[in-house]
Amino acid sequence: MADKKNYGMVIDTRVCVACSACVYACKSENSVPEGYCRDWVVQETNGTFPKLSMENRSERCQHCAKAPCVIYCPTGASHYSEDGTVQINRYRCTGCKACLAACPYDARYVHPKGFADKCSLCKHRLDKGLETACASVCPTTSLNLVDFNDPEEKALKMMNGKEVYRQKKHAGTNPSLYWISARNKPGA
Amino acid sequence: MLSGTNNAFAEDNGEKVVYSFCEHCFWRCGIAAHVRNGKICKITGSEHHPLSNGKLCPRGTGGIGQIYDPDRLAHPLIRERKGGQSSFRKASWDEAITHTAEKLYRIKEKHGPEAIAMLHHGYGYTFFKEMFKAFGVNKFAKPSYDFCCGPRRQGYEMTYGHPAGTPEGIDIINSKYLVFFGTHYGENMHNTAVQEISEGIRRGLKIIVFDPRFSTLAGKAEKWLPIKPGTDIAMMQALMNVLISEDLYDKEFVAENTVGFDELWNEVQQMTPEKAANITDIPADEIREVARSYASHAPAAAVHPGRRTQWYADGTQRIRTIAILNALIGNYKMPGGIVNYEKFKLPKPDAHPHPHFEKEVWSKYPFFVKTQSANTIASHEVVQQTLEEEIKAWFVYGVNVPETITLGRKTAVEAMQKLDFLVAVDTLPMEVTGYADIVLPECTYLERYDDLDDGRPYRTPFVTLRQPVVEPMFDSKPGNEIARMMAKKLELHGIFEDSVETYLDKRLKKIGSSLEEVKKTGVLVSKPTDLYRKPGEKLTFKTPSGKIELASAQLKAAGFDAVPKYIKHPDPPDGYYRILTGRKPMLTFGRTANNRFLNELPTARENEIWVNPRIAQKHTLSHGEYIHLKNQAGIVSEFPIKVKVTERIREDSVYMVHGYGHYYKKLKWAYTKGASHNQLISKADIDKTIGAVGFQNNFVTFIKEA
Amino acid sequence: MTQTTTEIISTKMNPNVIPHLHIWEWHIPLYLFLGGLAGGLLVITAVMIVIKRHFGIGPRDEGEGCPCLAVRVGSALAPILLGIGMLFLFLDLANKFYVWAFYTTIQPTSPMSAGSWILIAFFPMAILQAMLVNKQFLRNMNIGIVNKLIDWTENRLTLVALLNAHIGIGIGIYTGILLSFFYARPLWSSSILGMLFLISGISSAAALMLLFAPNHEKPIYSKIDANALWIEMVVVGLFILGGITGPANTSGAMMHLIAGDYQMAGMSYMLWFWGGFVALGLLIPMFLEFLEAVGVHIRFPLVAPVLVLMGGLLLRFLIVFAGQTYHTFM
Repeated sequence: MADKKNYGMVIDTRVCVACSACVYACKSENSVPEGYCRDWVVQETNGTFPKLSMENRSERCQHCAKAPCVIYCPTGASHYSEDGTVQINRYRCTGCKACLAACPYDARYVHPKGFADKCSLCKHRLDKGLETACASVCPTTSLNLVDFNDPEEKALKMMNGKEVYRQKKHAGTNPSLYWISARNKPGA
Repeated sequence: MLSGTNNAFAEDNGEKVVYSFCEHCFWRCGIAAHVRNGKICKITGSEHHPLSNGKLCPRGTGGIGQIYDPDRLAHPLIRERKGGQSSFRKASWDEAITHTAEKLYRIKEKHGPEAIAMLHHGYGYTFFKEMFKAFGVNKFAKPSYDFCCGPRRQGYEMTYGHPAGTPEGIDIINSKYLVFFGTHYGENMHNTAVQEISEGIRRGLKIIVFDPRFSTLAGKAEKWLPIKPGTDIAMMQALMNVLISEDLYDKEFVAENTVGFDELWNEVQQMTPEKAANITDIPADEIREVARSYASHAPAAAVHPGRRTQWYADGTQRIRTIAILNALIGNYKMPGGIVNYEKFKLPKPDAHPHPHFEKEVWSKYPFFVKTQSANTIASHEVVQQTLEEEIKAWFVYGVNVPETITLGRKTAVEAMQKLDFLVAVDTLPMEVTGYADIVLPECTYLERYDDLDDGRPYRTPFVTLRQPVVEPMFDSKPGNEIARMMAKKLELHGIFEDSVETYLDKRLKKIGSSLEEVKKTGVLVSKPTDLYRKPGEKLTFKTPSGKIELASAQLKAAGFDAVPKYIKHPDPPDGYYRILTGRKPMLTFGRTANNRFLNELPTARENEIWVNPRIAQKHTLSHGEYIHLKNQAGIVSEFPIKVKVTERIREDSVYMVHGYGHYYKKLKWAYTKGASHNQLISKADIDKTIGAVGFQNNFVTFIKEA
Repeated sequence: MTQTTTEIISTKMNPNVIPHLHIWEWHIPLYLFLGGLAGGLLVITAVMIVIKRHFGIGPRDEGEGCPCLAVRVGSALAPILLGIGMLFLFLDLANKFYVWAFYTTIQPTSPMSAGSWILIAFFPMAILQAMLVNKQFLRNMNIGIVNKLIDWTENRLTLVALLNAHIGIGIGIYTGILLSFFYARPLWSSSILGMLFLISGISSAAALMLLFAPNHEKPIYSKIDANALWIEMVVVGLFILGGITGPANTSGAMMHLIAGDYQMAGMSYMLWFWGGFVALGLLIPMFLEFLEAVGVHIRFPLVAPVLVLMGGLLLRFLIVFAGQTYHTFM
């Protein structure tokens, strides 16, 4: 198909309040087993009283374009999907856990049933043209599902002129999650 | 390669979606409940409902943890006393209802209807209220009025002639500058407001937060000003002082639409920023800068009224101060300022015959709300009247009395033990059900119809339906059915329609709709209303003077201050710290305490006591250590609490999330988790204008070995 | 009082990932140890065969081209030990029913995929060598197919041994590469890890052979062991130096290992590393074998090889555990 997708996320930490709605939505959407999570929220505070700053963010698999998990997977269970996401075929996964060790983001876990598991960027929803469960529930619209091949360049417009970073970019994984820093001034 | 095979829901055949509204907090967002194989598998925000706009907070999603809570009340229970021992036994509905009706009837015959009070919380109470009104009982109390919404409602009402509203009448998305005093957006997760604030931030909203604690909202703020607790009014007066003395206020608006400006100036004249700096711990320059910026962004600026507004005995006056701060910059009905959202115009149900005292208010407080038929007395008055043996029986709907802030746990328990008869309607065994004579298990909000909700004013007024998503589990029943059974037993006829569906359908037919139609999306939404005043438009206010009352003649006439005054509140004794409370974004106190789904996250499992590092050092507390708390009256927390050493709080205060430390064993999950805040309340400060209860003058110290 | 603080609250809760990685327990260190040992045995035995047959150096030949006892036993042990190691590897798999998935694909970038194929290649060659060096014993058993196989290949023992020397080195290095490709784990992310595990495998293999070699063969293996330990000392030194002089990730991870107070079985990494591995596993046996070489006989000759073997095992445990307990690449 000519209009190949390349999904990722733009996460606006300016508005995120670390409410964890994304975590619960993911858990019920994807039947994530009790005690496990595919996404999680982090509230980071820096400084000393009374000079403090805070960033809240919702984290998950980064769907790297150069994913160490895929590189290391001995069976091809972890693979790149044609839509730019990283997926796991649980019917080829031996549970060797190499991908867990390979991931610089610690985004994976071993499902109690034995296979490696992680955020799928709600592939089953993407395939139906829906947003991810986390993005669709997010009350602050901090989580934005984007298609980097989108001719309208929604992602670029969202990030333009703002301080944007990618986590552990220097790890060379080319992650598909972009973060609008909380340090941006309101309305930046 | 195979892909997409890693998902349990890859193929969803036969998924049904039912639209209803949430009951995890008072905001009442629209939900979409997804049902598969007769079980609710997930709950998402209703895309049709204006308050959710397709989004939902964690608690909304957590409904599945509520309905499938293994500890739920499954059968009616009757307390039996045998040889000094008391225990519950299972009973049939008929037996339980007969017993309840008999007992209530006898108490009414012997002591009069005023010996019976209903305490309620949540949206399912309406049918019981109707039943009790027909029975002649008219003492209704909702604890939330006492400490949460009362002051905001009445303080606004006295100033503007209308309540602050839920959602608050602030045009947040268009606002450029919002000032908050202690309210913690993002931690309270009021869906719509959080959505609007986020949109505001994207559009350039600047946020100023006065809070002794570095809240999540403070983390979004341009300025966090760690104000000394209890000094808000001094700060607000100083802001007014700057606005007026530097001529920054909207003179034209004030002259045209307010009364009492001179009295106000008279009062705030003495509160210079330098004086306020001494009181509040915020430098005078900062105060000036905030006042100037606030004025420079007017009218797209506002001071937010907040929630849980009764802290000391001056809660109503504090809200009035906020209302006045807004009035001074002329932001009323201006984009980005104060607006007055409208409610959906749904006609009241047909009146049915009942005694004349429909509007009778039992509260002794002169400015107690008089327009809410479901709230005729403050809940702390119910407790006091029970201790004085005026009230003999309680009918408790969804209020976990010992852990709900009304004069503290000890007093609440004493009152319950004095009662002749206590009926509790609830979905879960709560502390209160442990004291009840009869426990009636209601099904959860996902298994029942309730009355239509037309009570939320918003940009697009709406009416919304609660409908059952699945059949009631166990032997639980919807409130409407329990109320109907009781009415029948008490021989009260003509109150209820044959079925709740008929009743709802009749109400909806009056506006040209039907139950069948509303069931499809769960909501009827009307067009957006005009929020802003037109140039030259004459404003009217439903206050005694018809203007915004900077000085209130009615307060003065009743012996209170016409203009809010700053009164110093006591400082904590040496070695003690003021307890500040709040909530976690995924929890709503008692409603979610036992919700295993919501409590699963490491950040949700227990509450912590936030302690400043300098104070932790002084008391040799280490991060992560478990300690007990002791309040100024010597009450020691029943369960230990984890210490969180954090820079995010002042040295004179500690902070804990309310709603933990449950001591009822039948709450198998919540039992012993964290410490109870309500247990540590032994001092209550009553606001004598409206009858609200503040409890911020309780202080604690740390005990290593209990 | 600190100048600035960072407070991080996270809702993350995945078992064996939080608070730190704990995906590999005893199975993997044991597998790495046995793999290294098997590799080491193969290298030593193959080299012994080659130098004997090619250069005529080495222990006494025991007739008909069958090398000395230690080589014969060592050759037989190599595939057995690796087989046991692979059993542990299998036991570690969380999704055992899908183990076949290793052998339906070749993932060129995955060391584990390469390794699973190398392991398959190891067995035929190692077993062949074991058969050829033990052919007298096998001929006595008179199994038709075995006899045919021996007849067909016995003249090519040198070639088999030459290949096996390479395979042995490959396996030895592979056990280290397996970890060192994980650049997300700073301790493992060192290319010298392959050499370290190889040389440690050789020293352990020499120690093992020293244990069962008849007395007249012992001096050879004692010398091999002493030399291997000496090289291992150097490699360990380079490993440490490369770590502590590296960037924050690497040096932090190295300090976590060599100066860390993280506990393993009730003792800190630092004590395990310096006391357990370096002192007991390297220095003391090296000293003892040096004494042996200069003719000072000690009362308990078995002490040195046992210490070496324990040191080798401990090294795998330390590296596998400390690599997991240190945080990811930052």
